[in-house]
Amino acid sequence: MVRSALWHLFRTGLAVWVLASVVFLLSYRSLNATTELVLPDTTDLATTTTAVARRAAQQAIRQRLGLDLPLFYIGRNDGNGWHWNGQHNQYHRWAGRLLHGDLGTSFRTGQAVSSQLGTALAYTLPLTGTAAVLAVLGALGLAQRLATRPWWHRAGRGILLGLHALPLFVVALALLLLLANPEMLAWFPTYGLDDAADEQLDATTQFVRYIWHLVLPVAALTLSALPDFTLQLEAALTQELRAGYAITARAKGLSEQGIIRNHVLRNALLPTLTQVAQLLPALVAGAVVVEVVFALPGMGRLLAEAAANRDFPILVGGVLLTGLARLLALLLADLLYLWADPRIRWQS
Amino acid sequence: MLLTFGCSKRKHSSDATIRIRWAHDPETLDPLSLHNQAALDAYNLLNISLLQADASTQTLAPALAEALPSVQFLNDSITAIGYRIRSVAAWDSGQPVLASDVDFTLKLMLCPGLPNEVAQSQYHFIRALQVAANDPRRFSFLCRGRSIEYAHTTGDFFILPEAELDPHGSLRHFDLADFQYRRAEIATDSGIQTVVRHYLAAITSQATRQLPGCGAYQLVKWEKDRYITFHRKSHWWADQVRPTPFVLQARPQQLTYAIIPDAATATLALQRGEIDLYPRVPAHEFSRLRASSTAAKTLRFYTSDSHDVATAGFNTRHPILADAQTRRALSQCFDAAGLLRATQLGQGQPTVGLISPNDHLNYNDSIAPLPFVPKSAAALLRQAGWRPSRMGEVMGWTRTPVRGPRQELRLALRYRAGDELFATVALQFQAAAASIDVPVQLLPTESGAFSQALQTGDFDVYLRTLGGNPFMFNFIPILHTAGIGAGNASGYSTPASDQLIEAIAAADSKIRRAQLLRRFQAMMQDQSPMAPLFFLPNRVAASRNLTGIHVNSLKPGYSVMTLAWDSAPQVP
Repeated sequence: MVRSALWHLFRTGLAVWVLASVVFLLSYRSLNATTELVLPDTTDLATTTTAVARRAAQQAIRQRLGLDLPLFYIGRNDGNGWHWNGQHNQYHRWAGRLLHGDLGTSFRTGQAVSSQLGTALAYTLPLTGTAAVLAVLGALGLAQRLATRPWWHRAGRGILLGLHALPLFVVALALLLLLANPEMLAWFPTYGLDDAADEQLDATTQFVRYIWHLVLPVAALTLSALPDFTLQLEAALTQELRAGYAITARAKGLSEQGIIRNHVLRNALLPTLTQVAQLLPALVAGAVVVEVVFALPGMGRLLAEAAANRDFPILVGGVLLTGLARLLALLLADLLYLWADPRIRWQS
Repeated sequence: MLLTFGCSKRKHSSDATIRIRWAHDPETLDPLSLHNQAALDAYNLLNISLLQADASTQTLAPALAEALPSVQFLNDSITAIGYRIRSVAAWDSGQPVLASDVDFTLKLMLCPGLPNEVAQSQYHFIRALQVAANDPRRFSFLCRGRSIEYAHTTGDFFILPEAELDPHGSLRHFDLADFQYRRAEIATDSGIQTVVRHYLAAITSQATRQLPGCGAYQLVKWEKDRYITFHRKSHWWADQVRPTPFVLQARPQQLTYAIIPDAATATLALQRGEIDLYPRVPAHEFSRLRASSTAAKTLRFYTSDSHDVATAGFNTRHPILADAQTRRALSQCFDAAGLLRATQLGQGQPTVGLISPNDHLNYNDSIAPLPFVPKSAAALLRQAGWRPSRMGEVMGWTRTPVRGPRQELRLALRYRAGDELFATVALQFQAAAASIDVPVQLLPTESGAFSQALQTGDFDVYLRTLGGNPFMFNFIPILHTAGIGAGNASGYSTPASDQLIEAIAAADSKIRRAQLLRRFQAMMQDQSPMAPLFFLPNRVAASRNLTGIHVNSLKPGYSVMTLAWDSAPQVP
């Protein structure tokens, strides 16, 4: 088991490194847009920049950011084959820094990438984490009830399917227009996490205000994740309930709830474990739609804006983090499978 | 308990705090590299430049400078722009703002190792600074070439304090020319490196993220992508200036800019009193708010013209669009008046060119905007040598030049994806062009890729907004040969137009410049490298309690410094 976990970890680390390298090399290949976006907008008639001055400025930006170096150890001459660039290249410098835990600095703000990612994660994890926990717990409860075929089974499934079909932005905007609208119900705030003036309040009030602000975004995320988990788990439970061991348990006089809880649930959980593990990268990557609609800071907005502004250090750092989370999620799923199903443990 | 919070009416947090919506975070408060309008607005609170735009008169007014600058043409190649800094102007440390600070700032703009490429490309025309021997506050910029517009441009940048950023005077050991011509050599100087380190540490530090300034406000707190708060300095030097000019007023005690990217969320926040001012409201949100009876009780709505003009541009490098007649014909497929009704609630102004119709001196009112007449466009296409013929399976227009292969008139139209205005314009143009058998392929393009496509000429027609102002008419970046590869996306240039644009830039009086500008507008309409569609309106919605908004056509569209909170507003 330990050897298997270590092997998984090694493979994961290698895959993350390859992923980050590929993203770095692909994104840094085309940097014209980066230098272009740093310079003043050419659509502003107040600019006095000529093409010559603009090209000089672009060259100066490349120099300052170290983008004038060759990209990789080997490069292509213009139609004259390949040549060796040595260690004086962008990839070597980036990889060297990365090995020392330095993700570089943002092209736009000059701030450390790790600091910006850290700040964004501190906002994102409580939001996505709470939503994930609520969605998983909700799905566990709801799927078990649905599997017993209550009278509201058909209606419940219909609602879940309808919810599943709605894009996240529709759910978020619907909640906002319904529950934060002075013309409907103004129960919750429209945006942000707290007010700038809330700093004068005591810690408890600040905390309650923080939770109050999180209700709608968390509800939007939970509602959009819940149907997927519930419908999958309910289908798995229904299938397992038809198995011989469930019929035997039923013949022994166990209640349907008891059969599900004590016998069927663990077997039906396997596909759900994969789904839950797949949530991990989404927790880290944030939820850009919800962050935009509710004006919350976080990883989703940070990465979306970095992509729009071609701020590659942030983007590569974010991809690295998300990739790491995804590969760890796969590792976690493997380990959970080993825990949940002894047959897999014996085979491995 | 949570619902108790929600149901209790949220009060204005403090009468002294005014909350304004921003769509984007300023990203950085580095005066050498301000990336967006929010950054510029924020930095305007922390520091002030020699001249500031006066929203009440729509003119430039002296701010840090004592008076408007003197302009002196020393010879054909040098213009001297003279200023004197106000005697009372001082940094927070109490030290006076002097010409030596201006000299230091100019050197910082060229200093190697700093993110100053934007400033370098903007102020490359300043050759030297001459400080008066008998007055440390009086100085002149010596600028390359002749232009009355230098009077505006030279007053437009923020001055930084030498004593705080370079206490040892390391940059004084070098002339401005050293920073212009010997950058690589001086980059290794330890004094310069210390200043660079100090500067970078100040602007990237999580604790401060700003440089000392001489503006009315100081940064209190900045939570990225959430809010940024400024507090009025209790003792600001300009409080001594009597009577206080409009540009030196600073009435709000505290300003909080809430960063709300989504327009619908911002509208709800305004309705609930979570923000007090919502500038640049999109047309559909503005219309929705105005129609709401509850919003009408708590909000006021303002509109003004802006200097942003929606334009369509043609790629004149492509053979099918190389002749003016074809471009003029296609320009007649844009229904400017209809588009204003459809996208801007009928607000905004159709135009003949890139100068606002409100600028009565410079706007050429002797010509009319191009009409929307697709049939007449077809006739113009025939005059341009195009003939209706089959293009594959559909009817279209072809022509065979004397030299070169047969040409087919089909167009690829690019615009920024997600821009509702241009999506509508593109669809209208496509439909109008289709009515005369000109096929148009719409290419909504991601913002960065759109800029790249414009640079590389990968389009036939593009749609974008040009941001103007009433002070500067420099068309070199967008319509001159020198702008090709930079802002001149259409690639248009002729010796005559280049000469006229240069003459406008070098005009030595406003009257002469107005004559040239009128000629220029007529020439551009005749040549049609781009089709200016209309000037966009500026829409502002604000709480009824807010006074002193002074909605105007200059960015950001209102006057933040004169805002005040009236706790007993007039009920409608």
